[in-house]
Amino acid sequence: MKLLYSLYKEFKVITRDKAGLAITFIMPTVLILIITLIQDTTFRSVNEASVPLLIVDNDHDSLSNVLEKSLINSKFFIITKKQLSVDEAKSEVAKGHYFIGIVIPEHTSDLLRQRSSDRVNKLMSSFSGDTLSSERLDTSTIRLKLFFDPITKKSFKTTISNSIERIISQIEMQSMVNSLNETMKESFPDAKPSKLETAPIVGLTEEYASYNNSTIIPNSVQHNVPAWTLFAMFFICIPLAGNIIKEREDGSAFRLLTMPGSYMIVILGKMLMYVFVSLIQFALMLSVGLFILPMMGLPQLNIGDNLPVLFLVAFSAGLAATGFGLLVGTIATSHDQASLFGAVFVIILAAIGGVWVPTFVMPEVMKQISVISPLNWGLEAFYGIFLRNFGFKEVFPEVAKLLTFFIVSLGGAYWYQKYRQLH
Amino acid sequence: MSKLVEVKNVIKKYKDAPRAAINNLSLTIDKGDVFGLLGPNGAGKTTLISMLCGLFPATEGEIYINGLTHKTHSNQCKQAIGVVPQEIALYPKLTAWENLLFLGHMYGLKTTPLKESIKYNLAILGLESNTHQKISTYSGGMKRRVNLIAGLLHNPQLLILDEPTVGVDVQSKQAIIDYLKKLNTEKGMTILYTSHHLDEAEEFCNRIAIIDDGKLVTQGKTKDLIIENNSQSIEEVYLKITGLKFRDK
Repeated sequence: MKLLYSLYKEFKVITRDKAGLAITFIMPTVLILIITLIQDTTFRSVNEASVPLLIVDNDHDSLSNVLEKSLINSKFFIITKKQLSVDEAKSEVAKGHYFIGIVIPEHTSDLLRQRSSDRVNKLMSSFSGDTLSSERLDTSTIRLKLFFDPITKKSFKTTISNSIERIISQIEMQSMVNSLNETMKESFPDAKPSKLETAPIVGLTEEYASYNNSTIIPNSVQHNVPAWTLFAMFFICIPLAGNIIKEREDGSAFRLLTMPGSYMIVILGKMLMYVFVSLIQFALMLSVGLFILPMMGLPQLNIGDNLPVLFLVAFSAGLAATGFGLLVGTIATSHDQASLFGAVFVIILAAIGGVWVPTFVMPEVMKQISVISPLNWGLEAFYGIFLRNFGFKEVFPEVAKLLTFFIVSLGGAYWYQKYRQLH
Repeated sequence: MSKLVEVKNVIKKYKDAPRAAINNLSLTIDKGDVFGLLGPNGAGKTTLISMLCGLFPATEGEIYINGLTHKTHSNQCKQAIGVVPQEIALYPKLTAWENLLFLGHMYGLKTTPLKESIKYNLAILGLESNTHQKISTYSGGMKRRVNLIAGLLHNPQLLILDEPTVGVDVQSKQAIIDYLKKLNTEKGMTILYTSHHLDEAEEFCNRIAIIDDGKLVTQGKTKDLIIENNSQSIEEVYLKITGLKFRDK
């Protein structure tokens, strides 16, 4: 009964604090909207399509046509064709208007056909002992110019270069086959040969190694919604610590401590109400990811299929955040101290934990440090549920860490309170 | 008269403090007393009250409430005590009704008698028309009156008042004192009262103890103290005993 009244009191106090409510609910919503929009392009560049590409076609022949078609079919690029000089193309990329620029020199297709034909003729004449076989071939490379935006990551640059090289290899291969065909026709004018199949013989089957065949790719929404939700949940330590300090300063804690029964009932009521608030925050932020962000042209948040496990992680994170708030509120001697310490500490934990910059793009040292942050534990669990369809067994280590953090914080607060009373 | 509070050779030393906050102090409060605990700032009044309420134990000595100690009978001791702190220990965003309902439930009171008690006390102290107003909108005097009611809800045997009339207007002060006298005479409630308003203490308390530097320097019936010290008032007694020296640390 005491617990119920304690919960009711906290509910009234929290709901009548307009400024506190604004910080608790509006701040994280705004953060999610802004940061997700800002980071969307970056995540897209790492993940998927829409890489702006400039083609300067001075060839206007088969090679440039096939190359352009292949690039379009890859669905990786947004292609713009312009007639520019090499320097102008380079300048366009340098200004950041395009991620990549390709300049195809004049007569590239002619040269390709010529050299393919020369190579095939040389090969054929070697069978007949013709003098042609001893002549030297032109083995110089026809060079297409490729420009990359300087901010492009090396790994991404390599991926793009490899893709374009593969397309060009296929064009070269096709050109050789065509030349061979022509030569064979001359040798066997009455023959009716079938077309040589040039489709790849060995191919790759790619798939994300996720549970239950989930193939969701991390994007700015999948990262930012859980990341900033956790940030907001841990930020609750500031109003909670403030609430505890205010009760201590205005004598309410003194009065409550003089009452029969345990003061822990009051603290438990406070804690459960703040966990409830953090769960509302969580539900609100998920709603933003599910309904608001898609309206702004961003991908919809995919929350996976395992809602009970999702709730368990959110509840554990809420407990961890509340435990931390209790510890800060117990140790801090003033509201200012709690606000400053709480805010700075949560920001540091968020930075380490991969809220601002995802851990998968962090340097190795930071990746190792990130595992000490409770926000990282929560984030990893959410990633698991959202991207890999993790179940209870898979998220258990992260949940256990969050619950341990809660117990340690609570124990620390209890011990410090007793220590202060006795000394 | 039977003893309600017995403080026996109590010493309280805080960690790293150069001297004891309470130094071998003994005193007795009988049932039905209005006991004034007076002393300069830093004399040890708040420390003594905190120990009486069971907030922390004495370093040495014993404190008995109805013959029981906090060590062994914490809940019984606490149930016998009502506390009115010097601070307005109320939630400003809650109404007087909500504050008192919450605090009454924390004392373990049942809802129906609690509501009756709140209504009765608010009416007696002239707050019935402001019952559902937030505490933040109250004047200083109104807050003090609600603060007093919060300590009375469970009808304690001993009511501890720490500067209950500080910063209030004459009307509120008179209402508080009159109600406390009524509680003492009609219900036999024992009152432990601390204040720097010595004229108020003289008028209100039948027994007074003066402590200084953690030690009991004198105690007795109010009138006897004035006569024994050849003085005209408790203020004169107080100044004679404690002197004019500042107690700045």
